[in-house]
Amino acid sequence: MTWVEDVQAAKDDGAVFFDFLTAVDLGDDGFEVVCRLWDPQARTARLVTTRCDRADARVPTLTGLFAGAAWHERAVADMFGIAFDGHETAPLLLPESFEGHPLRKDFPLAAREAKQWPGAKDPGESDADLAVPRRRRAKPLGARDWSPS
Amino acid sequence: MTYPVPDNSRGIIALDENACTSCMLCARECPDWCIEIDSHKETVEEPGARPRTVHVLDRFAIDFGLCMWCGICIEVCPFDALFWAPTYDHAATDAQGLVHERFDLRQWLRDVPVGND
Repeated sequence: MTWVEDVQAAKDDGAVFFDFLTAVDLGDDGFEVVCRLWDPQARTARLVTTRCDRADARVPTLTGLFAGAAWHERAVADMFGIAFDGHETAPLLLPESFEGHPLRKDFPLAAREAKQWPGAKDPGESDADLAVPRRRRAKPLGARDWSPS
Repeated sequence: MTYPVPDNSRGIIALDENACTSCMLCARECPDWCIEIDSHKETVEEPGARPRTVHVLDRFAIDFGLCMWCGICIEVCPFDALFWAPTYDHAATDAQGLVHERFDLRQWLRDVPVGND
């Protein structure tokens, strides 16, 4: 079944309330687009997902099923650079001139380049001690290495 | 006017300087990089014991403009030096005013409810 058919099936099955739509950057595996629907009778939620390529990031629009999905799709287009076929997504959250898609994993975080990691200091050290070269320094966990390669 | 909040509310982070050993764990675990710690080493010599090195805290600052109230620093502190205090009224007129130095952080200790750690 296609993405729209999946969501339509869930809607027909009672999940008639559109909660939100967002995306997940899966790196080389492309993007996962996630839609949460709520069944007000059964009081249960459904997550409907689909995948798209990184090189050609596009999925069909859900605005035909839920008009309220329009803002969510515009936000996802802003943040992940995913196109929605059948929906001309004007920027919702970012200025027109903004370049890049901030929620993509490869989007450089300027704040992480401008600021020294506070954890680089060892116990008993202050900022002045960081000037002394050392072979082993603690590195921030999970943060990208911004040093020039 | 202040409104009553539950004791376990995440209002502000308090620091017990006497318990802090400048171990840097909170600063390293903080996802927002908002904890700045400076310290230096001193040698303590006591009669009948070998000289030992201790870390003396020089600066402990939390930038509440960056903090996202996740509480990881409080959870990770092995010496129970950090606590949630429920007081919440900490707006400032500029960004620098949101940086709480050790003396600010220490005073929030008086707001920490008994048994809150």
